Amino acid sequence: MTEPLVIGFETSCDETGVGVVRGHTLLADALATSVAEHERFGGVVPEIASRAHLEAMVPTVHRALAEAGVAPSDVDAVAVTAGPGLTGALLVGLAAAKAYALALDKPLYGVNHLAAHVAVDELQHGRLAEPSLALLVSGGHSSLLLVPDLAREVTPLGRTIDDAAGEAFDKVARVLGMPFPGGPPIDRAAREGDPAAIDFPRGLTGPRDAPYDVSFSGLKTAVARWVEARRRAGEPVPVADVAASFQEAVADVLTAKAVRACRDHGVDHLVLGGGVAANSRLRALAEERCAAAGIVLRVPSPRLCTDNGAMVAALGSRLVAAGVAPSAPDLGADSSLPVETVSR
Amino acid sequence: MRREHVLPTVEDTRALGAALAAVVRPGDLVVLTGPLGAGKTALTQGLGAALGVPEPVTSPTFVIARVHRGGRLPLVHVDAYRLGGVADVDDLDLDASTEESVTVVEWGAGLVEQLADEHLEVRLDRRDDDVRTAVLVPRGPRWEARLDGDR
Repeated sequence: MTEPLVIGFETSCDETGVGVVRGHTLLADALATSVAEHERFGGVVPEIASRAHLEAMVPTVHRALAEAGVAPSDVDAVAVTAGPGLTGALLVGLAAAKAYALALDKPLYGVNHLAAHVAVDELQHGRLAEPSLALLVSGGHSSLLLVPDLAREVTPLGRTIDDAAGEAFDKVARVLGMPFPGGPPIDRAAREGDPAAIDFPRGLTGPRDAPYDVSFSGLKTAVARWVEARRRAGEPVPVADVAASFQEAVADVLTAKAVRACRDHGVDHLVLGGGVAANSRLRALAEERCAAAGIVLRVPSPRLCTDNGAMVAALGSRLVAAGVAPSAPDLGADSSLPVETVSR
Repeated sequence: MRREHVLPTVEDTRALGAALAAVVRPGDLVVLTGPLGAGKTALTQGLGAALGVPEPVTSPTFVIARVHRGGRLPLVHVDAYRLGGVADVDDLDLDASTEESVTVVEWGAGLVEQLADEHLEVRLDRRDDDVRTAVLVPRGPRWEARLDGDR
């Protein structure tokens, strides 16, 4: 028996993604982005995002189906991000997914965006070991998750108490006069810099701090203060060193906490996901520390780390295989869907 | 309520937010100004916790705005840094009504004042010695009276 063909819709933020998978096999990953529109604002503007999703949706579906070489009638199930995300943006994906599910008379699965970031790795590295630990880091999220059963049970261990990791990159880029989003330019500048040049603070790493929560607000402020002091003194700002030292602080805290969580919970598999997982230093340090701790590290390619439709299809495929009940046709968007809710 | 505050620690900034929670009412607009790291989000965290918001209040920067329910009043937390202007909160696609909520806007000076007839401006600053300061500036007679305790 061939595995089910699943189409996935992702519109939680600024990417309109439609992916097609069969089992763990990626067939299509079509993406339209409104980043250019948002660049003007240096961030995601909800209303602009919704409008852009609406314009991009149908062409993106057509591209995905053509890329996969399948007809709409071949689809066995429809998956869609139901949250968390921007309400207006989520609604566009939900409306499209419901329309296809209804027209094709196929089951609809409303899925959690964060669990989908974990599921996407199965398209590259096969079935996830369970339990696994997942570190999801992006512009909007920073979460450490325990995943005993990706189709049914995801437990949050920690999260950011202030700024998300990607947001810290954006704000530090702003301080250094780099464009939005801040991740890629900081990563590039850091290659020429010394990561030990400046000893920036590692938030929430004291003995009495929450072991798995993270905080990047103090780090961001420390970078701003350091740069301001240089400018006040009329000295040049060593941009590469600042970028490298900042990036080192972020990667150090995230990987130390993820490895500690693996140890504390007796888990020997770690998955990275989210846009910040594309950062070269985070990937390298995670590899180094996981190897030292005997942990198997799985990191999807940068293209699959950022938001896309394939990740939603991947989780949908997992739900179908696990026999999880589909969603009701009146499925709604939940902008703050808790990570424990894998599907609804 | 005192107008000028010296805030040596982030806990002091949160406590000032908590003190504001005792005076805010539905429909209120609070505009926070100050540089990166001055304590705008920390102040909002104190305000949210004292309102009884069950989840932690984190930075809204990436999503521009977040609505926190479950407290005495809904808390609408906006980061207006990226916005060119807000003619109406509808532009933000929020599933909340500002008449029923207290709306706190970071980086909103000069952009969002028209969202309410009156507002409270909180000027936060970061001194060279890393101590934060806050000045409460009532913008309108009713806010003036409220800060003076004349309710």
